Amino acid sequence: MNGWIGRCLRVNLTEGKHSIEKIDPGLMERFLGGRGLGVKIFSDEVDPQTDPLAPDNKLIFISGPLVGTGALTGASCNVITKSSLTGTLACAKMRGHFGAELKFAGFDMVIIEGRAEAPVILSIIDNKVKLVPALEYWGRTTVDTESLFKKNLGNQWISRETFLAAIGPAGERLLPLANIVNDRFLSVGCAGIGAVMGSKNLKALAVKGQHSLQVADGNRFVQVVNSLINKLNSSPLTSQSMSQWGTAFLVGLCYQKGMLPQNNFRGGTLSLKNIGTEALNSAFRLRSRACFACPVACIKKTDVKHPTFEGRGMVPTYLAIGSLGVNCGVSDLSIIGTANMLCAEMGLDPVATGGTLATAMELVEQKALTPEELKIDLRFGNGEAMLDAIRLMATKGGHGKRLGQGGKALADSFERPETFMGVKGLPLAPFDPRAIQGLGLHFATSNYGPNHLYGNTFIDELLNAHEILDPWDIKGKPQLVKDYQDTTAVMDSLGLCSWPLMGLKFKNYVPMVNSCLGTSHNTDDLFLMGERIWNLERMFNMKAGFSDADDCLPDRFINEPIEEGPGVGQVSRITEMLPEYYRLRGWSDTGEPLPETLRTLGLENS
Amino acid sequence: MARIKIDHDKCTGCRHCEIACSLNHVQNTANPRRARIRVMRDHNRYYPVIAGPFVDAACTSKVFVEIGDLQYDMCAVCRASCPEKPYFIEAETDIPLKCDFCGIPPSPSCVRWCNSGALELVDD
Ligand code: SF4
Ligand code: SF4
Ligand code: SF4
Repeated sequence: MNGWIGRCLRVNLTEGKHSIEKIDPGLMERFLGGRGLGVKIFSDEVDPQTDPLAPDNKLIFISGPLVGTGALTGASCNVITKSSLTGTLACAKMRGHFGAELKFAGFDMVIIEGRAEAPVILSIIDNKVKLVPALEYWGRTTVDTESLFKKNLGNQWISRETFLAAIGPAGERLLPLANIVNDRFLSVGCAGIGAVMGSKNLKALAVKGQHSLQVADGNRFVQVVNSLINKLNSSPLTSQSMSQWGTAFLVGLCYQKGMLPQNNFRGGTLSLKNIGTEALNSAFRLRSRACFACPVACIKKTDVKHPTFEGRGMVPTYLAIGSLGVNCGVSDLSIIGTANMLCAEMGLDPVATGGTLATAMELVEQKALTPEELKIDLRFGNGEAMLDAIRLMATKGGHGKRLGQGGKALADSFERPETFMGVKGLPLAPFDPRAIQGLGLHFATSNYGPNHLYGNTFIDELLNAHEILDPWDIKGKPQLVKDYQDTTAVMDSLGLCSWPLMGLKFKNYVPMVNSCLGTSHNTDDLFLMGERIWNLERMFNMKAGFSDADDCLPDRFINEPIEEGPGVGQVSRITEMLPEYYRLRGWSDTGEPLPETLRTLGLENS
Repeated sequence: MARIKIDHDKCTGCRHCEIACSLNHVQNTANPRRARIRVMRDHNRYYPVIAGPFVDAACTSKVFVEIGDLQYDMCAVCRASCPEKPYFIEAETDIPLKCDFCGIPPSPSCVRWCNSGALELVDD
């Protein structure tokens, strides 16, 4: 089968058994694979009302059909489950090499069910599927777990080619802020899944294998990939900005346009000098690392030196600088880098953690939460205290316990919900939605909470890569949001990274998809599949209890204009955009997919 | 003589070269374990290694090299397709692999897909 392996591994942890199943070709055709297929199978098998931490919840690891074939950026593996932070679907995007190796190990997807009695690691190495007792790994950081597991394999050649995805102490303790970390330090970028893995007593997955992948028309495929590489190289955004600094190059741009949130989205006076790309260059020695088959190489590694963390680590990305840095009033890159590494080690999601800390800091400022009570001097700008707080959060130590439950729970416990800057329980990715209207609409309507990776409208609104749009204007934004949401659904399902959309148009990818899979798709029918996937996810969330009332932004963005800086005076005009968005989606005034919409998408029976 | 110059400082570990080689040598097939170039990792560096002559015996002694305070295993960066390491033994056929310097002109497949500049075709 072109691209696909066509096999699914189902592991029941309660019984300690596994079975190998064939994937239904009809489903592959309708849902593309990856995120789409995973969500389809998940919503067929799991009751939307399930308690996320109950054994009935499942965890699906699925690589798209293009992953591992050499398709440009064909690396991503999606992890699908019901999130313990938001209660919505969660679909993490795993970068690095894990996804490709899962395919070489002989499976497109792994479904994990039930709950093991004692900690285990699922090892899929050279066609042997094993549940390895993992008591000795429990309590270890993600980095330690990986090193020890590889050491225990006892053969350097096998361990060199094995890739792991593991949870850290935060996931073991079922913290809703926990996520999964793969390939040593790569956070999968989705809070609320680490605890699900922890609740199943599954410490890690390890994969390695020798399987071959077939492509339909090798010659044409090679040609198309060549031309895509050339196209990427001719776009300065991908070939220079991303390649040089990774997503951190966005810091300066967002700052200039007033989108970079400071002090829990209330504004501030930090100087770009300390956090821009030049500061990054002088704070770290950057080494470029790439996900499987990616010519962009936006992952930046470095050596981090700080009393709290020393050793090989990551250069903070835009998300880390925004969430763990400026939004907490911290502008010291070495502290931000350390905080980012602590999160990776502990298995905490950096964005959700940063958002929660910012909420806590605002509560301290309002004197609702006292430093005496916390035993740490947590306040905006105090980086060292932030590091302490992260460690305490992850280990549920002392007074960190309250923080670990997430910003929403914390704000609610003080009856000050207005201090929590998030949607559906997930803290906002660090973009101020008042200064970038389209992204704000996406944050409100996203099936996965306010994460920019599921609708990268900033590619046009901020970077003007394909269209020159004014970020403050709302004209045409609902359509833009819908288009990007559907595009990302397709890209995730195929297993492609969406960052290179900065340099490539979606239509450029179509010949690659067709020559790889032997299909004859065109842009329109791929978009239709994206729309189908988006609606399917929406329906799952509605059955789980979400409605149009959850398609909103925190009041601060609607009522309080930005006070200073380039975005001064802006408020989010989400209420003006929402009806138009619903109409474009074919949804009712209350945000429910209309019967005829479902019929066109072939979802009437789902 | 044309040769491939490897600059491991530039290598990003993307392994696109492995797939390029595999697609070129085995029809329509992508599998790093069928490639004649493999990207090894030691500590924080990546070393692309191009398969060299097949030898039917492995070295009887191990060589470690110390650079700075890190120790490197020379087996990891050795290009022999020898029985000691399973890297250049083709998966599925068990044939030892050797680079055949494919595709000049315009340039070898691995070089063409290496975007970081780690692999370069030089002629001197
Ligand atoms: S652009 Fe970055 S995240 Fe995307 S595949 Fe390339 S290295 Fe990975
Ligand atoms: S020159 Fe050709 S045969 Fe040799 S490693 Fe590169 S792609 Fe493979
Ligand atoms: S393609 Fe180039 S950068 Fe990528 S792994 Fe191979 S040698 Fe390194």
